[in-house]
Amino acid sequence: MMFAVRQVTTYQYASLVPFARHTLRLTPGSGGRQEVLGSTITLDPAPHERSETVDFFGNRVTHIVIERPHRTLLVASEAEVRVEPPAAPDPADCPAWTALREAAGAVRDGSGRSPIHHIYPSRLVPLHPDIRDYAQACFPDGRSVLAGGIALTERIKAEFVYDPQATDVTTPTAEAFAMRRGVCQDFAQVMIAGLRALGLPAAYVSGYLRTEPLPGHPRLAGADATHAWVALWCGEEAGWQGLDPTNGVRVGADHIELAFGRDYADVSPVDGVIVASGGHTLSVSVDVVPSEEATPPAVKETAGVSPRPARP
Amino acid sequence: MGVAGGAQSKDEASAADGLIAGYRPQSGLFDEMMDGKGVLRPHWRPLRDRLSELHAKGELAACFATADRYLKDSGVFYRVYDDKAADERPWPLSHVPILVSPEDWKRIKAGAVQRAALLEAILADCYGERRLVAEGALPAAAIAGSPEYLRPLAGGTPPGTRFLAFYALDLGRGPNGEWWVIRDRAQAPSGAGYALENRNAIARALTDIYRAFDVERLAAFFEAFRGWLTSFREADDAGTCLLTPGQLNETYFEHAYLARQLGFRLVEGQDLTVRDQKLYLRTIAGLRRVSALWRRLDSDFCDPLELNQRSQLGVPGLVQAIRHGNVRVANALGTGLGEAPALLGFLPALARRILDQPLALPNVATWWCGQAAERREVLDQLDRLVVAPAFTDRIPFVLDRGPEVVAEMSAARRRQLVEAIGRRGVDFVGQELVNLSTTPVWQEGRLVPRPFQLRVYVAATADGWNVMPGGLGIIGDKPDARAVSMQQGARSADVWVLSEGGPAESALPSPPRDIAIRRATGALPSRAADNLFWMGRYLERAESTLRIVRALTARLAQSERAPHADALALTDLLFKWGASPQAAAGAGVGAAASALFDAGIGSVPHLVQAARGCAAGIRDRFPRDSLIALDELHAFITAAKTGPRGATALLDMANHALQIVAAVTGFHDENMNRLSGWRFLQLGLRIERAIGTCRFARQLGVEAAGPDGLDALLELAESLRTYRVRYMLGTARAPVFDLVLLEPNNPRSVAFSLAEIAKHLETLPNARGTQGPAGPLKEAEARAAEIAELDPASISDDRLIGIENGMMRISNEISLTYFTLRQLAAQDGSGR
Repeated sequence: MMFAVRQVTTYQYASLVPFARHTLRLTPGSGGRQEVLGSTITLDPAPHERSETVDFFGNRVTHIVIERPHRTLLVASEAEVRVEPPAAPDPADCPAWTALREAAGAVRDGSGRSPIHHIYPSRLVPLHPDIRDYAQACFPDGRSVLAGGIALTERIKAEFVYDPQATDVTTPTAEAFAMRRGVCQDFAQVMIAGLRALGLPAAYVSGYLRTEPLPGHPRLAGADATHAWVALWCGEEAGWQGLDPTNGVRVGADHIELAFGRDYADVSPVDGVIVASGGHTLSVSVDVVPSEEATPPAVKETAGVSPRPARP
Repeated sequence: MGVAGGAQSKDEASAADGLIAGYRPQSGLFDEMMDGKGVLRPHWRPLRDRLSELHAKGELAACFATADRYLKDSGVFYRVYDDKAADERPWPLSHVPILVSPEDWKRIKAGAVQRAALLEAILADCYGERRLVAEGALPAAAIAGSPEYLRPLAGGTPPGTRFLAFYALDLGRGPNGEWWVIRDRAQAPSGAGYALENRNAIARALTDIYRAFDVERLAAFFEAFRGWLTSFREADDAGTCLLTPGQLNETYFEHAYLARQLGFRLVEGQDLTVRDQKLYLRTIAGLRRVSALWRRLDSDFCDPLELNQRSQLGVPGLVQAIRHGNVRVANALGTGLGEAPALLGFLPALARRILDQPLALPNVATWWCGQAAERREVLDQLDRLVVAPAFTDRIPFVLDRGPEVVAEMSAARRRQLVEAIGRRGVDFVGQELVNLSTTPVWQEGRLVPRPFQLRVYVAATADGWNVMPGGLGIIGDKPDARAVSMQQGARSADVWVLSEGGPAESALPSPPRDIAIRRATGALPSRAADNLFWMGRYLERAESTLRIVRALTARLAQSERAPHADALALTDLLFKWGASPQAAAGAGVGAAASALFDAGIGSVPHLVQAARGCAAGIRDRFPRDSLIALDELHAFITAAKTGPRGATALLDMANHALQIVAAVTGFHDENMNRLSGWRFLQLGLRIERAIGTCRFARQLGVEAAGPDGLDALLELAESLRTYRVRYMLGTARAPVFDLVLLEPNNPRSVAFSLAEIAKHLETLPNARGTQGPAGPLKEAEARAAEIAELDPASISDDRLIGIENGMMRISNEISLTYFTLRQLAAQDGSGR
């Protein structure tokens, strides 16, 4: 399936910003089931410096510096992406979770896609015994790692309330867990904390989710917005398996991957340091349109005050 | 050895010597001075003899006191975190040096160099090709678990990067006499500067002994490191910079001290900026390139954009500048990885693999529980071990306070620990308990044995690794190696490495040849300029407030009757000045006391504190005596707070405080080079003084202040005597205003201050552009012209307010032009 993805992020600053430096992770990469046919990032005002790098985890990063005083920063990213449905191995074919834990610890791969970077606590995902016990319930002795992962995905979907008011981008994982509330970032990070506390490799994936309500089916949360989910490493054979606790499903053909890391801090779409007094407001609009029916994408504005793009 | 000593039996020694009477090595521990039979080790004998001599003459305590006084006078301090009461602690020195025999030193030195080379190779591999992981020599998990394995640097460091440039290792000597490595300090090791000051202190305290001994000198070590790091400088750059987390850091003293000793610039993250992938220092003259940086800030805090986003101490974009090879950072970002206890167990095998040598200095035996066999070994002998976090200081909910001796745990905690190791073995190491050797410490008039660690420093030079011939001795009270830390109340000691050869070459440092003449350049960092400017303003304001208090209390002390109008006007001035609350204004003495002791925004304690805050941020470029005097002022006011509060007592206090202020400013005038730093201090002082004088004139030059108001004004402006000489016929408004506001030769007048301000501004960078004078100078010249036109007989309140506002505009223009980011950013853009 071909998609045209367009994300427009707009910052409105309370005072004139004379100097700004940002890193953007807004360009999807090719790999696995996903191929990016073309992508652009347009900025207003135009940056004085601009360069592209690929980070440790393989994400495409744009570094920009703006030296012209500005009150508004507009970042428009567009990409054309072909996405194949992921291979969905039978959980029964995956190793038992305790065996997987040993296998993960013994890998001789230090590269960015190695599970080894995802078994430890990270900046935004410290380990907590309460979350560990919560996850442990899904991993009885001998259960396959993927079966346990799916069970935990479903448990979070069933027991957590989707509530954008309950948390913000800085809410600690343990707090979101205690409330059993939050948005996709919270659900993904709670699930990752639980998996890692058991010694299992779990990564954070940011991306987009196309939603097209099918007749008789409910509309999925996170429609036409940035989204986040979990990747669980299930052994050399099955590799990384995507699990979406916000929707209680395995990742499918409508999940378009943007960036991959240990937690939100590794994949944050816009990180910046500006010289300014006063705050700012932020709006993000996302459109995911199947290319076959490509029409000029409409831009819908939603106001927010979060320092980073809104998180479904 | 320079001083000979024959063999002596144990009995002779103790009989002859009260100093070491009763000194016995503790059972099961190695003692540096005395063997298990109570016989002095030969290399200690000369020192013991000399100390005993001084002891017998009753001079030893006085000698040691000299060392303490030196450290105090030099302002050597460190900070203890979570200790609000005494955040700055005097540096604690144990006076008896630790002696290291030439044989021991040879082994330590070789082991330290080998270990530096080994860690360098491991770091280069982990941040480069990762062959050790791919080939199975090092588990990927033993690297990935370190929060100091900074992924943005992995594969991103330019070829040829030197990772370790300044490295330290903590050593302990076990009961069998062997030296062990307790831990590695690869991030940004502290203590070398303290070691240097320890040496200075002891060399003063034991001058003759130190000269007679053939002790290796330390200076060459620092000079070689300086030479190496400085070799990376580019022409016309801002010089080598030392990046500090700032004055709240525990070892900030050392950062400032080393910067001064090595001629480096002490900078904080906010002093630096990255443009076009290059690092720059913000100075009052614009951006100056930085090509070599000695980092004393932990890596993760160095770039909020690519590393820890919460850091406010770093430089956004620094990682990009490093990637492009535009700045040499020592140590490279990410070297903290080399400190992980998880690595210790792999080092013996890695030394053989990488260097084809056995490890010269053994580690404390360590098993990383991320591997099944090692985990079993740890669990099998758990009760004989210390269990420690493999990568961090602590593990929340499991090892909340860091490493623990398992044998000391409750059964329940032990069970939890075993479960945790079973679940996430990767987070833990098991380590053998290490009992440290002891060294003599002077305590209550005699020597007693105390356990210690030795921190040894290794630095990069053009010719390879160089080991500091000495080190930092860290003396604790418990033999357990984990309990010895400066944060936990340990003492430090000088370390004397005794040389093998004769005293010939190294006894006295030979004067270095070919010292290049270094003169300060005009590139004053903007933050330093800002601090100096405000230091000047706060000090002058404190002085003015003290003058008001003095004038007020002098009047109150003279008169038994109700205060006159002038005293009421002065009391009211203290209130309007923000120095005392309105409630205190009714009673003159209350207002004066409040201005001297309370915490109001314009009170003396508040202003002195603010001035000290500015001074603390620029410790490296401020006369030492001036800092001492400022501390003394603070101490005096604090102490006086509990004293008597009558008018006479307050008058005495104000007089004394004014004398100390005069000392502070006197040191500025006499001891500061006439560079831009001094000029900013003067600008702040002059602006504040002009504002104050106008304000006094408005308060005291009016009817309400009574007939003596003008006298008070002359007094505050230090112009009473001049006035009396010039005008025989009593005080009148016009001549008084002329003298304190307009007289160009009176150093206290507004006109004089404005002329000085213009003179200072004229010397600063970018004082004039192609369009004429820049903002500050333009404003100052306009105000000066305005003043020159004034008729002393008709100066209204509005006029005075106008002049005050004009002075504030000059202050703002100075900020905009020389301190703020905005202006610099704009300058930079236009200059390209």
